[in-house]
Amino acid sequence: MYPILFLSFSGLITLFLGFFQEGKWVKPATILFLAIASISAFIDWNKPGAYFFNMLQVNNFNLLLSLVILITAILIVAISDNFKEIEYAHSAEYYAIMQFSLVGAIMMTNFQSLIMLFLGVEILSVSMYVLTGTDKRNLRGNEAAIKYFLLGAFATGILLFGIAMIYGGVGAFEIDAISGTLASNQAQSLFLYIGLVMLLIGLLFKLAAAPFHFWTPDVYEGAPTIFTLFMATIVKTAVVFALYRILHQSFQNMHLSWSYILAGCIALSLIIGNLSAVKQISFKRMLAFSSISHAGFLLLGLLHVSKTADKSLLFYSVSYLLASTSAFGVLLALKNERTENGRSNENISVFKGLATRSPFLSAVLIISMLSLAGIPLTGGFWSKFYVLTDAANDQFFYLIVLALLLTAVGVYYYFKPIITVFEKSDIQEAITINPIFKIIFVLTTLGTLVLGLFPDLLYGMI
Amino acid sequence: MSLILLIPLFPLIGFLINGLGFKNIPKSLVAPIGIGASLLSFVFAFIAYSEFKNTGEVIIVKAFDWITIGDLNIPFSFQIDQLSILMLFIVTGVGTLIHLYSAGYMSHDAGYGKFFAYLNLFLFSMLLLVMGSNYLIMFIGWEGVGLCSYLLIGFWNKNSDFGDAARKAFIMNRVGDLGFLIGIFLIITHFGSLEYTQVFEMAKQYPVGSGIITAITLFLFVGAMGKSAQIPLFTWLPDAMAGPTPVSALIHAATMVTSGIYMIVRSNVLYTLSPVTLNVVAWIGVATALVAATIALFQNDIKKVLAFSTVSQLGYMFIGLGMMAYTSGFFHVITHAFFKALLFLGAGSVIHAMSDEQDITKMGGLWSKIKITAVTFLIGTIAISGIPPFAGFFSKDEILAHTFAHNKAIWVLAMLGSFITAFYMFRLFFVTFTGKFRGTQEQEHHVHESPLSMTIPLMVLAGFSIVGGFIGMPEIFHQPHFLENFLAPIYEGSESVLPGFGNLGISHETEWSLMGLSVVLALVASVFAYVVFVKNATIPKDSSELSGVKKILADKYYIDDLYLKIFSNGTSKLSKGLYNSFETKFLSPLVNSTGTLINFAGKQLTRIQNGTTGYYLFAMGISIAFILVFFLGLDVLSFFKNILGGFSK
Amino acid sequence: MLSQFGFILLFIVGAFLMLAGILGMARLLRPDKPNDQKLLSYESGENAEGGSLVSFNIRFYVIALIFVLFEVELVFLFPWSVVFGDKQLIEQTNGLWGWFSMAEMFVFIFILSLGLVYAWAQGHLDWLRPDQKVNPFKSEIPSDLYENINKKYS
Repeated sequence: MYPILFLSFSGLITLFLGFFQEGKWVKPATILFLAIASISAFIDWNKPGAYFFNMLQVNNFNLLLSLVILITAILIVAISDNFKEIEYAHSAEYYAIMQFSLVGAIMMTNFQSLIMLFLGVEILSVSMYVLTGTDKRNLRGNEAAIKYFLLGAFATGILLFGIAMIYGGVGAFEIDAISGTLASNQAQSLFLYIGLVMLLIGLLFKLAAAPFHFWTPDVYEGAPTIFTLFMATIVKTAVVFALYRILHQSFQNMHLSWSYILAGCIALSLIIGNLSAVKQISFKRMLAFSSISHAGFLLLGLLHVSKTADKSLLFYSVSYLLASTSAFGVLLALKNERTENGRSNENISVFKGLATRSPFLSAVLIISMLSLAGIPLTGGFWSKFYVLTDAANDQFFYLIVLALLLTAVGVYYYFKPIITVFEKSDIQEAITINPIFKIIFVLTTLGTLVLGLFPDLLYGMI
Repeated sequence: MSLILLIPLFPLIGFLINGLGFKNIPKSLVAPIGIGASLLSFVFAFIAYSEFKNTGEVIIVKAFDWITIGDLNIPFSFQIDQLSILMLFIVTGVGTLIHLYSAGYMSHDAGYGKFFAYLNLFLFSMLLLVMGSNYLIMFIGWEGVGLCSYLLIGFWNKNSDFGDAARKAFIMNRVGDLGFLIGIFLIITHFGSLEYTQVFEMAKQYPVGSGIITAITLFLFVGAMGKSAQIPLFTWLPDAMAGPTPVSALIHAATMVTSGIYMIVRSNVLYTLSPVTLNVVAWIGVATALVAATIALFQNDIKKVLAFSTVSQLGYMFIGLGMMAYTSGFFHVITHAFFKALLFLGAGSVIHAMSDEQDITKMGGLWSKIKITAVTFLIGTIAISGIPPFAGFFSKDEILAHTFAHNKAIWVLAMLGSFITAFYMFRLFFVTFTGKFRGTQEQEHHVHESPLSMTIPLMVLAGFSIVGGFIGMPEIFHQPHFLENFLAPIYEGSESVLPGFGNLGISHETEWSLMGLSVVLALVASVFAYVVFVKNATIPKDSSELSGVKKILADKYYIDDLYLKIFSNGTSKLSKGLYNSFETKFLSPLVNSTGTLINFAGKQLTRIQNGTTGYYLFAMGISIAFILVFFLGLDVLSFFKNILGGFSK
Repeated sequence: MLSQFGFILLFIVGAFLMLAGILGMARLLRPDKPNDQKLLSYESGENAEGGSLVSFNIRFYVIALIFVLFEVELVFLFPWSVVFGDKQLIEQTNGLWGWFSMAEMFVFIFILSLGLVYAWAQGHLDWLRPDQKVNPFKSEIPSDLYENINKKYS
């Protein structure tokens, strides 16, 4: 709870910091604020309880989620660069909005009342619409922002509709109350069913699961890379755990009903995500499709209501966060290497000759790609393994077979950047890397490897 | 955090420093780092020992939970008990001496830093192997030492023969590792755990001769065959002598090759439960001992002789294990570590003195020129030949006594092998150190005693080779058998499934006469060697000049050629055939068409991503409608059924 | 089930009825004599000319957005004032309730005003006029020459 309060105010402070000394304190201050927010989460450690009239629930697992989100945010902010490439940039505003969006993300993972969920979703989404369109002079960015906003508003409407329906069916917003009603074994109101479906659809949209994924490639490609990273990591994590709370802690008795919707979405996400990624030339677009397929995997972890689902999901999220941060980070580090019409080239071909130009960056990129593909000795392998084992408990064998087959397809496209790294390039000069980037890359890459070598360090801890 | 965790950590840190920075670290710092890491581990082994002695109970230190899959939990933890303490002392003690020796031996080598990095990595893996508290950590160490062995055999990678030797060692070990791995899988499926304590506790419930235990132990033994160079996977060890001599001493004599014995002693409960496996172990041991000993008779490369002698001595250890005399087998591991490391380092010193000459026919008369090396080498020779009171005598005699008690046929063969061992070792000594110098003028001019950093380890090891045997005095001397008393708790499980399993069961008179017999045999062999090589001054011939049985022995029974014909050529023929038929006709088109299909599907699928917002909305709307119809259709039906049901009531 | 929702429904229905009633009454009472001037749409006293699809100054949006923000704030103030003055609650909490809700609303307004301050500081409220450019051209002919000519021929 304390991170929410703190970030709301620190965001405001960040706004005004932008007026001093051309905003050069904004980025360090943001990192400091995020660090303080992370520490403030520990105030409630081992003190489970409810806040705001039982609208927010706090327990150690939820705090851990907040921490994961905040620490990822620190990593992302650290590799952002005051948005020098954007014309007429108001960097203070972007950092402030990032902090506000984190408030939304934490609300989504800690909610108890569906109202809080809706607030969280809205705070996060509206922030993301704005951040997507920050590069005002970039036509693609504008297009992406408008698309994201239009489709997102549509999805939010459906989400709210679902919440209203659920209220109509149960007469309460609290997820505990809902699960209590469901456990009472009476015939349930039809509203509840419709409400659940609508709520689910709204959140699946935010998660970028097929068939509600259409916005993803365009928005990922159009948004500035740093915010694409933000979307791929923080938004996904928040939504997945929102889904976890709804499906596993509230509607677990309706498992039979929702598991079929999920199964369909998983199958579609895996197929569309993996197959569409094969033909992509743009690295960001490829990662967008890959994120759709990862959404499928995350949902696979939700499919089976079990004690280990939360562990598997958190493990998956963390390893995906680390790998994504590395992958997008490398793209950011190469931002000024090749440009086209004044904008950085974001195609896979920018990695050409990276192996000779910067062995460090290529190692980071390769390990992140291996992790995303799920090759052993990286965190990605164990995350897929845990998720699939969970799903195997529920007789969804056809989905597991499908997932495994499509993972093979995944290997194909994840290896494209790796191959490109070793291609000869006409440019030979070494690339200098910002020391902050270096630190972040070392952290994320080591994290990926440690998760791959010693999975129980995280998995056993939860 | 326990200090025990630091023991393997030091070599790892040493490896990281020397390995990552071997281009930047000044040469003068490399050796202190490497030696320091190993010495610190040695010191901390003492600390671990004192910690262990205080409680007297098995210490299990859990570093962290490693893997949890369903009910199978594998922690990353270390177990300190009598067995691992002893192994710790051997590994870190001998390891430190050999690090020290290497500082002198390798000082002119370009890859000085690399060498110490590998040695530290080896030490780290070996410590994991002996300290791990479950089979998986042992397996990591097992693979780690295999990797280091590969890297170090092929250390001088400019010579492609050495590279081949390295690959041979690696591949043969892989065959064994596969067996080991299958054994581990069997343990997981049948015991649901890999922790020693849990597995052995559960194993106690099984009857002697249980089928599954036999399978597990046999598969584990396949692993031991590979690592400890037993028939049929022994041919890699002689070739492994391509590596630098300290490596041969540390890895291929004292530590790594004995890990198979360590593994069996560790799993003694399982082996005691399976008489079949024990028989297999004993017979393979004796066969290896004899075959290797006979081959060693006609080798002229100083290191090859020692290599075959190592294989043969490992065979003796397995004979001991096969007789359920686990302590005796392990006793021999300890004494062998001393005298074989001594012999190898001595050989290294000789090679160093002879300007990298390894052929003993070109040596001779070195006794007076390199006195320290010669004396220590003689001590090693006496120790391995089994002449009392040197270390080798006690351990070998104990194995032979147990063999006599259990299986007379194996005993006869083992005695024969022991006779041959004494003979070829003295042959080696006499040909190298006595007679006239047979090398070139230049070599003679250059012969010199090695520097102090090389002779100190020799002297230390020589001391241990003399007194090392006293830790296991036979009962008839009325001295406490320190080792047996110390190791007794390890066999608690074996004792409970087969009470009195390790008792000798022969009278004192028999034991005295057995001992006398083996001493007499060893003495006869040495005198025989003296007559042949000193009195008659015979110079050994090259295999091309030999004929009949001698040629077969000198050419190692043509086993290598056999393996080449059957496995190597067979495999390449099979793969060629498969490539021409299966691969090009079936597999390749199948794989390629899958790729084409995927690419095609990808291309088609990207079409639905056409960038039009309206279209996206439309698709989403359709999807929502579909879900509602499909999903609610079912629920609406049941809902109305409920209502109708309510009405009909 | 007519409890809470019922009131809202009644409220909505009531609002529609009220609207219809007032407009209907006006229709009955008022004189009906339209002319061109009266039928023009009211645009701050100016005549509406041309099509409505013209581009106009973007600054309208910013001002309008800030205006809407404070309108919405007002909407919040109404329900707040009801709870603020709740006698029962005040009595129960010994007057603390009043201070608490007062403080809460001030915090809310403070945050909003921070937004206004930010917009102000960013210069969104400045209605920038185009700079009046002074022509730097200096004629070589002295100005009194013209004056003389003017005088002469006046």
